[in-house]
Amino acid sequence: MNLQQIQTQLGCEVLAGGSLQGANIEHVCACDMMSDVLVVEKDNLLLVTSLTTEQVVRTADIVGAHGVLITNGKQPLEKAVQLAKQLNIPLLRTRLSTFEACVQIGKLLNL
Amino acid sequence: MTNFSLDSSPSVVLELTLRLKIRDVMTTQLITAEKKDSLRHIQQLMKVNRITGVPIVEGKRLVGLISVDDIIQALDGGFIEEACEGRMSRQLIVLEDDMPLSLGISYFEKYHFGRFPVLNKDSELVGIVSSRDILTGLLVEMNKEMEQLEEKLSPQKEVGTTIYSREFSLHKFDFEHAGTASGTIKMELKEKGLDPKTLRRVAVASYEMEMNLIVHSLGGTLKVTHMPRQTVLEARDVGPGIEDLEKALTEGWSTANDWIRSLGFGAGMGLPNIKRVSDDFHIESEVGKGTLVRSVIRHPELGGEV
Repeated sequence: MNLQQIQTQLGCEVLAGGSLQGANIEHVCACDMMSDVLVVEKDNLLLVTSLTTEQVVRTADIVGAHGVLITNGKQPLEKAVQLAKQLNIPLLRTRLSTFEACVQIGKLLNL
Repeated sequence: MTNFSLDSSPSVVLELTLRLKIRDVMTTQLITAEKKDSLRHIQQLMKVNRITGVPIVEGKRLVGLISVDDIIQALDGGFIEEACEGRMSRQLIVLEDDMPLSLGISYFEKYHFGRFPVLNKDSELVGIVSSRDILTGLLVEMNKEMEQLEEKLSPQKEVGTTIYSREFSLHKFDFEHAGTASGTIKMELKEKGLDPKTLRRVAVASYEMEMNLIVHSLGGTLKVTHMPRQTVLEARDVGPGIEDLEKALTEGWSTANDWIRSLGFGAGMGLPNIKRVSDDFHIESEVGKGTLVRSVIRHPELGGEV
């Protein structure tokens, strides 16, 4: 599964980032505690969160996540968007709640 | 009081005491009082800071000293509420900051005081030195000597060759720049060709250290030293120190407030996370002084399991 499929399925708005098709996603970490994200040792990761600070993008970069999905229709801070552009990390936004977004992504992953 | 004797010390220690200066071991975070302050106030200072002597100053000039003995006498004699000016010791034995440590040790032997104020060339009070400071200073220095010796003796000499080293200053609650140090470290070590898995461990440790410094400390430094077989990260701060290290190392235990949690931090995973990704993990902390966290991450692809 790639980010393009997620974007289509969830009707996400793309706020920053490079190729969505090239961003292969196999694992999802849905979390609002960045330290808990840093524990995750998975490749091809998508970070799903309702936090909007630039630390979200920073954390995604540190663990090498392939994208960040902001839930609850929240608008990330401008600095977060800028950092995502700078680090070339796709930053998506959905109106769905974290749970609803995860359910949809779970379907795409045939879970 | 600890007794030192230089006569019976091994030559390595003797050499160290000659090479080190008083300023290398002295405490520079001074708890002082003024002449008008009451002895009661000074007693409180001693109690809160767990110290046994308080220099009395006028600006940067040392004018006297109140020791715990003076406080006991004041309590005994019923003049604890008096200003310290009339009761302080004025005939003070002081050390200068560029004197060799050996001289400081000889002062402890000669005068039997628990501490000595330290002045600089301009006769300004710049520190205080206790026997404990001297012991700590010597141990730290001996540790360094041992490490150097081990490096020399090790057949894999290049372990000690630094490829890249950098230090970042971090400030309390500076969320605006939070993560830039780790971001830079990650980027630059990637350029040095560190493999992705090891790079991720280094990045996680440095990020947690950086956030700890910003969220919990009064400010400090994050230092990265990249060598062929290992990367060493060191976070050093100037306080407030950790009261219960065991708790701080427990997953989920946190002292962070709601505001910090709203930013996504304070999950109580910081130190445990650093420990988890480290091959060697070291922490030392003293309340009122500061904390040092060191993480060593070896590079397995280069045969780093030394």
